[in-house]
Amino acid sequence: MTVAVDVRDLRKQYTMGETVLDVLRGVDLTIEHGEVVCVMGPSGSGKSTLLNIVGGLDRPSGGAVVVDGDDLAAMDDERLADYRRHQVGFVFQSFNLIPTLSALGNVELPLVFAGVARADRAVQAASALESVGLGLRLDHKPTELSGGEQQRVAVARAVVNGPAIILADEPTGNLDTTTGHEILELIKAMNAEGRTFLITTHDRAVAEAVAHRIVYIIDGSVVKIEQGGVA
Amino acid sequence: MRPRDLIFLVVSNLRRMKLRLALTTLGVVIGTSAIVLMVSLGVGLQRSVVDSLGELGAATHITVMTGYEGITGAESKSLDDRTVAQFEDMEHVDSVMPIVTVMSVQELAYKKNSTNANIQGVAPHKLEEFGYKLAEGRFARTDSEIVLGAAVPAMFLGVFPGSETANQPSLDLLGKRIVATVVEYPSEEAYAQNPMTEPTERTYKLTVVGILEKADMGTDSSVYTTLDAALEYNGATTRRPTYETVTVKADSAEAVADIEKALVAEGFQTFSARSIQDATSQIFIIVQVVLGALGGIAMIVAALGIANTMTMSIYERTREIGIMKAVGASNRQIKRVFLGEAAVIGVFGGLGGLAFSSAGAALANLFLQSMIAASTPTGGASEPTNFFYIPLWLAIFAVAFATGIGLLSGVLPAVRAANLDPLVALRHE
Ligand SMILES: Nc1ncnc2c1ncn2[C@@H]1O[C@H](COP(=O)(O)OP(=O)(O)OP(=O)(O)O)[C@@H](O)[C@H]1O
Ligand SMILES: [Mg+2]
Repeated sequence: MTVAVDVRDLRKQYTMGETVLDVLRGVDLTIEHGEVVCVMGPSGSGKSTLLNIVGGLDRPSGGAVVVDGDDLAAMDDERLADYRRHQVGFVFQSFNLIPTLSALGNVELPLVFAGVARADRAVQAASALESVGLGLRLDHKPTELSGGEQQRVAVARAVVNGPAIILADEPTGNLDTTTGHEILELIKAMNAEGRTFLITTHDRAVAEAVAHRIVYIIDGSVVKIEQGGVA
Repeated sequence: MRPRDLIFLVVSNLRRMKLRLALTTLGVVIGTSAIVLMVSLGVGLQRSVVDSLGELGAATHITVMTGYEGITGAESKSLDDRTVAQFEDMEHVDSVMPIVTVMSVQELAYKKNSTNANIQGVAPHKLEEFGYKLAEGRFARTDSEIVLGAAVPAMFLGVFPGSETANQPSLDLLGKRIVATVVEYPSEEAYAQNPMTEPTERTYKLTVVGILEKADMGTDSSVYTTLDAALEYNGATTRRPTYETVTVKADSAEAVADIEKALVAEGFQTFSARSIQDATSQIFIIVQVVLGALGGIAMIVAALGIANTMTMSIYERTREIGIMKAVGASNRQIKRVFLGEAAVIGVFGGLGGLAFSSAGAALANLFLQSMIAASTPTGGASEPTNFFYIPLWLAIFAVAFATGIGLLSGVLPAVRAANLDPLVALRHE
């Protein structure tokens, strides 16, 4: 197996007036291609912060995040946007779809910023939506879709660029158990096709259901790494 | 991002804020209209004033007179055949026409009617060369033949140029005999010998062989005879004649200013319709700038409206900006989307303003023309004046300016949107 993401001694601090908040205190983590890694830990332990830094939405205070050989810490804003455009996909707890665009339009969006031609884009986006089971919902606006369907659109949007890794921050957090379970099945199916995931969750059952490995973070430090249910 | 996709994003964003967009655009429409109407009023006035100055003479003609003595210390230059030859050699000079003005016309009489129109002595072929057109008849061939300016027949009836009315009576003088009475005052020596010497009157019988087409005011009210005849009326010799004025014809209207400058440097006095028009045009540029600036105040308000609308809509779409950044939009791409929205407001506002002000100008012209027609005795016989005139440059400028204002007003909000931290934007409710 080859390394998709290599996190080394990652640190993140927030300075709030006089006090310095250490949110990540030297996290080391290696994720291999084709792996599903879940991050668990209490609220405020730094799970989302870790994900956002790996996704290039936030910047580390120290350490390195190497994705397919490139260190994110060394990238400028333009390069980081390019990284988000081509090498990662995001799935958020609150779906984060653009309300005025159709399902197809939302999935096309990353391709728009990547400069993919209109015709190619429509084909790629439609096939991504088909792969999440929404082949018949292309023209629906987010308000015309259920929560589970919206999160499927978000998954399709995250994979449409063919990223090295898909980051999902509490992807089932806003869904009921059954619907959440469907999303987990979708993730498993996509992993079976070779896609790599880094997922945060509060829910042990979720982690057990999809993860090869489970990383426990407490107060910004990795305290334990376990084999998940899938391994 | 491809231009087409940029346009798609811009348009779909604009479509969801229709009312706000309409109101903001209306602001630009009003701003653009204010500028266009103001400037077009300046342009319209300039055109009508400058056009009427054109009645002072043809655009390529320069009237040269002998210079004043004493003011510059330069010696007074006389206009004689040598100076005429000198003028003919100047660059950009097509032709030179010496004119002898008959100083002492007592009257010109036809039967019971008479007038004291100027008599100008000019070589007939020069008249032709200088573009004088005959309405009827031909140019003079002998010293006893004359050609009348267009307004002269009416002057015999006491109607002066500029005060014509519709359906005025006129005299048909072509082929008719006119009697000119010329007074000769005693020369200085004669006066010195005998202060009681009386002026002598002489009469000449002249035949009208042609009538000129309507031209400028000076031409219309003059009677043209030959150089030799005019010199004789003045009691001067034809051996070394001097001329009161010489008309110089430039090869183009653009060359007039340079030729005039050279002539003035030589110590002559000059006059041309063209230079007066140029000076007047310069004054009107100031008028247009002032009027345009007044209209510009409305545009400033419109610009604030655009900036306000953009700021508000960007605030409302903060979370979407976060989403776009998360899926890979660069700062530059975000900036372009919002600048595009502001520019579209500018373009549509500019086009709308141009349409609105064109209609407004046309209506205002109709209204003003009908008011003038109602208050003039001629019933508006002369060509109608356009007080508001929108030249092509103004139309293009107006749309470009409105677009520029849109872009400019959008810069600050767009830069703010582009520089939003993606995480902060994503957390925005
Ligand atoms: N911009 C910020 N400024 C200051 N502190 C922040 C900022 N962002 C996050 N934090 C702090 O960092 C810590 C970790 O936050 P993070 O969102 O990573 O936690 P989490 O593990 O995802 O929690 P949860 O399970 O509730 O989502 C928290 O204590 C939070 O208050
Ligand atoms: Mg979190």
